[in-house]
Amino acid sequence: MSKQTSRNVINRRDFLKLAGGTAFIVAGASVLPQFLRKTLLPEQVVGAAGNYDLFFAGTDGWFYMPPDPAIPPWHPDTYAPAPFTTYIFGFRNVTGLDDVQRANQKNKAQHNAPFFWADQEQELRVQLTNLGLAQRPDLTDSHTIHWHGFRNVIPFFDGEPTGSVSVPVNQLFTYVFRPHDPGTYMYHCHVEDVEHVTMGMTSLVFVRPVQNGATLYPSGKYAYNDGDGSTGYDRENALFLSEIWAEGHWNDAHIQESDWSRFKADFSMLNGRVYPDTVLPNSPINLAASTHALTIQTDGNGDLVPYPGYEHLQYSPHSSLITCNEGERVLLRFANLGFRESAMTLAGINMKVVGRDATLMRSRDGTDTSYLTDTLLIGAGESYDAIVEAPAFSGGSGSSGNGYDTYMLYNRRYTQDSNLTAGGGAGQRTEVRVYSAGTLPTQQYMNQHPGDMIG
Amino acid sequence: MLTTKIKWIRLAMVFVIGLLAFSPLAPIQSAKALNPTTGIVCTFGPTFTLTAQSGYIQMPDMNSMYMWSYGSPNFQHPGPVLCVNQGDTATVTLQNSLPYSLSTSIIFPGQENVLADGAPSQPEFDLVGNLTSLTKSAGAGGSVTYRFVASRPGTFIYESGTDTKTQVPMGLFGALIVRPSLGASYVFNRADSQFTPTEEFMALLSEIDPYQHAAWEAGLNPGRNFNLNTYRARYWMINGRGFPDSIADNGAPWLPVQPYGALARIYPFDAINHPYPAVERFINVGSEEYPFHPHGQNGLVIGRDGYPLEGPGGQDLSFEKFDVNIGPGQTWDVLFKWHDAESYNPDTNPVPVTIPDLVNLTIGMFYSGSPYLGYTQTMPPGISTLNQCGEYYIISHNHALFQLDAFGQTMSGPITYLRIDPPQPNNCP
Repeated sequence: MSKQTSRNVINRRDFLKLAGGTAFIVAGASVLPQFLRKTLLPEQVVGAAGNYDLFFAGTDGWFYMPPDPAIPPWHPDTYAPAPFTTYIFGFRNVTGLDDVQRANQKNKAQHNAPFFWADQEQELRVQLTNLGLAQRPDLTDSHTIHWHGFRNVIPFFDGEPTGSVSVPVNQLFTYVFRPHDPGTYMYHCHVEDVEHVTMGMTSLVFVRPVQNGATLYPSGKYAYNDGDGSTGYDRENALFLSEIWAEGHWNDAHIQESDWSRFKADFSMLNGRVYPDTVLPNSPINLAASTHALTIQTDGNGDLVPYPGYEHLQYSPHSSLITCNEGERVLLRFANLGFRESAMTLAGINMKVVGRDATLMRSRDGTDTSYLTDTLLIGAGESYDAIVEAPAFSGGSGSSGNGYDTYMLYNRRYTQDSNLTAGGGAGQRTEVRVYSAGTLPTQQYMNQHPGDMIG
Repeated sequence: MLTTKIKWIRLAMVFVIGLLAFSPLAPIQSAKALNPTTGIVCTFGPTFTLTAQSGYIQMPDMNSMYMWSYGSPNFQHPGPVLCVNQGDTATVTLQNSLPYSLSTSIIFPGQENVLADGAPSQPEFDLVGNLTSLTKSAGAGGSVTYRFVASRPGTFIYESGTDTKTQVPMGLFGALIVRPSLGASYVFNRADSQFTPTEEFMALLSEIDPYQHAAWEAGLNPGRNFNLNTYRARYWMINGRGFPDSIADNGAPWLPVQPYGALARIYPFDAINHPYPAVERFINVGSEEYPFHPHGQNGLVIGRDGYPLEGPGGQDLSFEKFDVNIGPGQTWDVLFKWHDAESYNPDTNPVPVTIPDLVNLTIGMFYSGSPYLGYTQTMPPGISTLNQCGEYYIISHNHALFQLDAFGQTMSGPITYLRIDPPQPNNCP
């Protein structure tokens, strides 16, 4: 968290303090101390019809982690409005919202941030604004979007604030990405990134290959330009790994400094939730708006619409449930922006690793380096693409009795899996549900859940 | 916060002194100088004398830290980068000047048929059979000479083999580079391992629990009682420094015993004028995996632990990574390059967005003011930059982000930058 002496802008409060409410002119600046010798800002018109594909906003907010067992005094945070427990920073997709709706999203962050994607060789523009922090008006942190792993980026579009620029409160910046390399990546705010990342300004982004549409695999959908259909898939699921240190989040809400070298993960999450919330549906999907990002429906105020009955998941809207018909191939896109390595184990089906760090598993001379595994070690900042071929449906006589077979996908580093619960079974854990052939219709969007509401 | 201010003051100092080094008053450093301002500084062998001794290093939070290290002959941290050629017989004589009458030794993981004082290196045990050292040790004030044929090219570690849980974290480690017989501009005896000799860098990653060091510093041998169950690293380092010291020049005068910088300074890829990549030799001497993330490029991992990644028929098994998650005791050899993919130019190919006025942005202190490589722009009043000639700065850092820390001082630790200079001729000092 940076205080305002490191900013290059002067906010309204400084202005009033400085000039006693009277006019402040730049010509008088030379008598001011260095750190106040600022230039008045020409107003940027936030919300003017912009030339962008996506419009994101950085802000703070509250979301839900299981309150029991408590981690006193840090969790649940007594400041949190019910049913939420935990203070976060985050991004919201504000594409299509009007000026008032967008301003309303201050203190309405989500965790994790929206999933978005691009097509290889197709330019994607993401405009970013900064709504400020409602809970911490004393902090005037800037924000950025850093596309982690984007090759040959220029600093201007990298979002690393020391080598380029970042976006102060109420300002705008448009990132232009021309992706040349398909695969799974991640993105996050890079300002004070120890804090902004673990506070929740993180998500997964991927690039679809130009090979899509080719007939090497029946679906015409591929993870990479493989030339042989080996990365073809029928369904895809993003599985984004992140962590919560309850004390660090409490400190930010309560205006306390954190010693981040004392970090420990109290909660380890998949797509911003812990099991069994991970297998609940997505929040209602706005399919028509989901051209570049998985878009959640918004209400008249611009706020996220929760799934009825799951209001506690309003700001963690993404499901991690994996569903498929027998014989289908499912692409699992893993990315880890936690601070610890995870060991994601799929019990009962092997995963074929076809990509890592947005690179097809082929060496320079074309040697195939893909491999099968049941446990994927995923380090902090790593991504993996794994394809699962669904086994034959057994008749659903297994544990579910619900017309599908269930295979557990979980972090077998038990300390990250249990989140202190008595029975284990929380944390980074979800299910792969395999149905009989033809049961599920074609997947309409990533991470589609059979119970989703689509509008 | 005050500590942040200190950090930035120090950062400014790093650059001001860096500028002095490039100024006409300073001796001109050619790119192939023996002690370049960036890149690996070799101590050439094949015969070396290393003195294990105690000393102090400076931490990025302004603490000083009691360390043990290998000097040649004077204390430095980390130990000198030993460079030999494949086939050389390396001879390393260890002089033991550690305090508390401690024994010590050096092991060379990855080297075979190491001789210690002429006999095959073997672990030492006391009279009742307890392991006391992984190899022949030197008693207090004594010495031992190790000898081996550097049969394989690559990047290796040397470190203490005695009471390793104490002596390695206290700082008794260093890097060993073996040049292949194919030539010094190759990592291995493979044509596809060629790199640009002026762009050879090291990222030696380590960690410090200040309580362990304080226990030994307190005297009367109390460190023996440090309970390793309470070990918790609170500093993380690259080449024995934390950010922003990490990007200061090699041999920066205010870091007299921490000679190795970590800034990687390169030119953009050019098929004709700059066709070969840079190489980064990653070394982990800490206690856990460090996931190191270079922005803006996927490194090509071509070797690990001194072995090229190749199949039995010589097939290339290298792989690209944007997250080099290197485990404790490992070395990874990573080729990398940056090319100007979009060739943005203010006149002929501008960035396809309206560039906000600088006063509407928070400006990083390495930013030139311009999106374009080789261009600068005047900063708004009150804003300064450390950028020299429109060069790019692209960060590289450990992505276990809580480790970007110096005992509670955040945004320090194993952070460095890739500095990309505009293609020559340029206006860079």
